Amino acid sequence: MESRRRLRGARVVYTLLVLLFLGMVNLVSALSVTVNDLECVYEYVLYEGDTVSGNFVVVDHDIFWGSDHPGIDFTVTSPAGNVVNSLKGTSGDKFEFKAPSSGMYKFCFHNPHSTPESVSFYIHVGHIPTEHDLAKDEHLDPINVKIAELRESLESVTAEQKYLKAREARHRHTNESTRKRVIFYTVGEYIMLALASSLQVVYIRRLFGKTVAYNRV
Amino acid sequence: MKLVEAAAVLLVVVVVAPAVRALWVDLPRTGTKCVSEELHNKVVVLADFHSFFGQNDDVNHTVLPSLSVKVTSPYGNNLYHQEKISYGQFSFTTTETGSYMACFTVDSEQNGGKTVTVGIDWKTGISAKDWDLVVKKEKIEGLELELKKLEGIVQAIRDNMNYMMSREMDMREVSETTNGRVARFSIMSLGICIAASVSQSLYLRRYFRKKKLI
Repeated sequence: MESRRRLRGARVVYTLLVLLFLGMVNLVSALSVTVNDLECVYEYVLYEGDTVSGNFVVVDHDIFWGSDHPGIDFTVTSPAGNVVNSLKGTSGDKFEFKAPSSGMYKFCFHNPHSTPESVSFYIHVGHIPTEHDLAKDEHLDPINVKIAELRESLESVTAEQKYLKAREARHRHTNESTRKRVIFYTVGEYIMLALASSLQVVYIRRLFGKTVAYNRV
Repeated sequence: MKLVEAAAVLLVVVVVAPAVRALWVDLPRTGTKCVSEELHNKVVVLADFHSFFGQNDDVNHTVLPSLSVKVTSPYGNNLYHQEKISYGQFSFTTTETGSYMACFTVDSEQNGGKTVTVGIDWKTGISAKDWDLVVKKEKIEGLELELKKLEGIVQAIRDNMNYMMSREMDMREVSETTNGRVARFSIMSLGICIAASVSQSLYLRRYFRKKKLI
């Protein structure tokens, strides 16, 4: 009797823990940081074989007349120390990889240029219970696997939306800048033109001043 | 007694779990490190943060660093401001569209020399929803709760898409206006150039005639 009660208590706790872990694996983080030279963020991956996906976009600052953004470098380092993923000189990209081991992963942004950049990034760690997890724990139904797969698909849609939103923000920034430049530079051009032509006239008048008239006599 | 032990384990897991779940950022010894996110109106934001010395959270920490945390809205309003704390939580609902920034500063008078790491768990929108409240109110559990969460995510995706469509429409209008303006202003500038040169020539001809040089 005593042992059965103890077993039931343990089962309850185990179920609660499993449910807690199932609810826990939705790791989402979407933030912007300013990168002066090197900025690293760390994210913990709970299970080996989890899919780590994400994206980052460099928020545009006013480039004066470069045609394209110089871009930043992005590196992902595993807890063992080897580089898992690396992108160079991009102004925004998506990434996805399967975590080779569990532990603390380091996501680094390196800015090779002197102007500080602002990077908006999103990292998601997704876990789907595998056959091994199903066999290990009798409280996990196959339906939990399906639900986890559904949740991961929805998360990928959300990730895509966040990426598009960040890209749209950058595009909007460029648009606003173009609009301001058109107005400012056109009005400036008209004023400069008027000024240049009147200065020309004044100069020619001075050239053919009184001295010439006197010489002609 | 087993239940008490179990409850203790559960409590530890619940307390430790957010620590594991967060995004960690290194803090510089001097100066402020800020993280921000661009949000639109009426979004619920829920954030947990905790700080510790060193790079790993495994070690039992007896001394925690003291930070100063400040959260500002895009128009400069102060949403949360606390000095000399190591961990905490803040939440707010956005009222303005723009970039919301949370800044962390290490207090300089404590023992500098060790790196300070802050774990930030920043949740917006549907991730910030309190599911315990829904469970209590509607008395659902297990699979039904999971499916309800999925339904919430789908609704959030749809709302996001509608919002992005309206933003795209605004941007398209600005683009088309700029396009019209470029054409108009270029032709006008050509017209002004011709007018300026013609008026120059006419004026100089009149001037030279007056001066009896022509």
